[in-house]
Amino acid sequence: MSKPALSKPLHWAWILLLSCLVGGGHALADKVKLDPGNWGHEAGKDCVSCHAKASAGLASEWRESAHQAAGVNCMDCHQAERADADAIEHEGQIIATIVSPKDCSRCHEKEFAEQQGSVHAEAFAMIEERLPALADNVGGPGMRAASCDQCHGSRVKVKGDGTLDAATWPNSGIGRINSDGSKGSCSSCHGRHRFSKAQAREPEACVRCHSGPDSPDKEIFEASKHGMLYVAQRDEMNLQAPEWVAGRDYTAAPTCVTCHMGAAGKLPSSHDVGMRNAWSLNSPVSRRQLLVVFEDGGKLELPASEPVPKRGSELTRPDGTVGKVKSVATPERRRQAMSMVCLECHGKTFTQGFMDQFDGVVELFNGKFGEPARTIMAGLYEQSLLTPTPFDEPIEFTYWELWHDEGARARHGASMMSPNHAWWEGMYLVGRNFYARFLPEARAVAGARAAELVEAHLTDHEQHQWLNRPDRSSTILGFGVGEGR
Amino acid sequence: MSSFGAPLFITRHVLLALVVGGLGGVLLMAFLIEFDHFTSSNEFCTSCHSMTYAEDRYRETVHYDSASGVRASCGDCHVSEGLLAATWDHAIGVKDLIKQFLGPDDDDPVINTLHLPEAAFAARAWFRQRDSATCSKCHTQEAILGKRADTAAIHREETEGKTCIDCHYNLVHRKVPDERIFKREAWNRMVEEEFGLEPGMADRLMTEPKQAIGSLPARSE
Repeated sequence: MSKPALSKPLHWAWILLLSCLVGGGHALADKVKLDPGNWGHEAGKDCVSCHAKASAGLASEWRESAHQAAGVNCMDCHQAERADADAIEHEGQIIATIVSPKDCSRCHEKEFAEQQGSVHAEAFAMIEERLPALADNVGGPGMRAASCDQCHGSRVKVKGDGTLDAATWPNSGIGRINSDGSKGSCSSCHGRHRFSKAQAREPEACVRCHSGPDSPDKEIFEASKHGMLYVAQRDEMNLQAPEWVAGRDYTAAPTCVTCHMGAAGKLPSSHDVGMRNAWSLNSPVSRRQLLVVFEDGGKLELPASEPVPKRGSELTRPDGTVGKVKSVATPERRRQAMSMVCLECHGKTFTQGFMDQFDGVVELFNGKFGEPARTIMAGLYEQSLLTPTPFDEPIEFTYWELWHDEGARARHGASMMSPNHAWWEGMYLVGRNFYARFLPEARAVAGARAAELVEAHLTDHEQHQWLNRPDRSSTILGFGVGEGR
Repeated sequence: MSSFGAPLFITRHVLLALVVGGLGGVLLMAFLIEFDHFTSSNEFCTSCHSMTYAEDRYRETVHYDSASGVRASCGDCHVSEGLLAATWDHAIGVKDLIKQFLGPDDDDPVINTLHLPEAAFAARAWFRQRDSATCSKCHTQEAILGKRADTAAIHREETEGKTCIDCHYNLVHRKVPDERIFKREAWNRMVEEEFGLEPGMADRLMTEPKQAIGSLPARSE
């Protein structure tokens, strides 16, 4: 594999990341290092005895679990300290309903360390401030719990009477902010109470959130060659394998987990789902991104256009806290990690060729639609031709759908090989929106100043020059040159 | 020697005293029965405004409104069975009356909610000390069938060493956490939020109610 040229100050990062990417072992679920004497709580028997009657389904799922086989019972996960904000008294025991990632980390240390700070763990924190403008204004407060929070997670509120606020719980959103401060919900992907690794390796583990207009990853996977093979060769997926190394334990097809988290060859598994993503794809304009890992385990995505922070330097994070940089993964390294998965089944040129095709689509979206549209919108806001409140003017919906839905579909479609999503569900709709809705609406908002605020951002753009040649007919609409031939 | 053959010490006076004493005793017993009955009624209990808050929640529960028409009154749950025990409970209950007049203003919904947890803890302890005796006046553990599949089995097999109140608390009145995990800080914040009070107001109402109470928003009752 060709190694990207690295400047000298980056050597440390290179070495660190390599050790981080390659040196960590194969198992998707790391072997629990805690001594078994730490589990098998005495009171667990009583829990099971009663819950087998009171909630038979729950108890029966646990009976099928690896937890049960290892002697891990209800109390081992649900026990709480009296001082815990969400502690409750239940049948004489002090427990908590919510088992947070921090609780799971008592045994699953490695997974917790990887998951904290990941794009999954931050899924609520990163939209919390933006939520009111869409969820509350366009929808209504009731929509949060039923939709946004289901995937992104909620900020769990424990009321003064010890109950969990129904506006925030039940919730198993992946970026849930728990009352112990930890972020995430392991049960988002690992269905309670069986916690089957085979289940979490299925594409269906991701579908609850990665489907629909803004991230139709389910639909894209199903429409891709990968999805085709997965359905046909599902019996050979070896999903129950203790370790699940692509190329060794299975070769039938990849699932979401295979590429985004799974072990492949020498590439270790990771519960940081975004680590292998060189691009941000769900943004108005995609950016190649640096992954900064802090000494305290926190993580931060930075645009690759910014200078690479030095190891040991201090950075202020979005939440205001200062973190000391431990390592930085450049987009090139992240791409290299992802490519290592591809190489288990594909050749180097094939892999590189695919990545070039994918990058081409992202760059096309950025340059032709994302950037001009953003510049035009910024101008309209700057000139007070639009109110600062989002979604109170039609063009704001138009712009939102351009990048958040249609643009995201095009980029996701290209990243995971669904031709239909890349074009008809994606870039075709981006183009239609841009030319037939966004630009006319922008011109109407700009009024007399359309030339300066709208057209100026298109005229120099080679990709939009075809608009200046209105006399070139084609048969595509059933008219013009060649009609009837 | 009396002509009726009664012992010599039964004089006319003694006879009179016995009759009067006996009648008095019967009257006292009758009075206590009536008194306990009256003072166990919902009407009597809620004649203090402070008790109407407890009543509000109770009216929403099956102990007030049951399909069969059986209604558990305040006293059915909170006063022991038997004349002596009931009288004793009412005698102890006088302290609530004293508190009503001399204690914090429990007629105020804010003050009432702030002090509710301690009242709940005391009530639960009272039930526990009596092995939930007042529950058992109506409920027979062996006869509990329930609507769900295993309710009967749970009450048969999972209740060793437990009394009703151990599991069935927060059944009739406003939810209060168990004493072991109760967090006064969180409770006070909840009260402030619920009644639109400025942060810290609840703590002042707890420590110096006289000074703080003047700054409470006026009640619209």
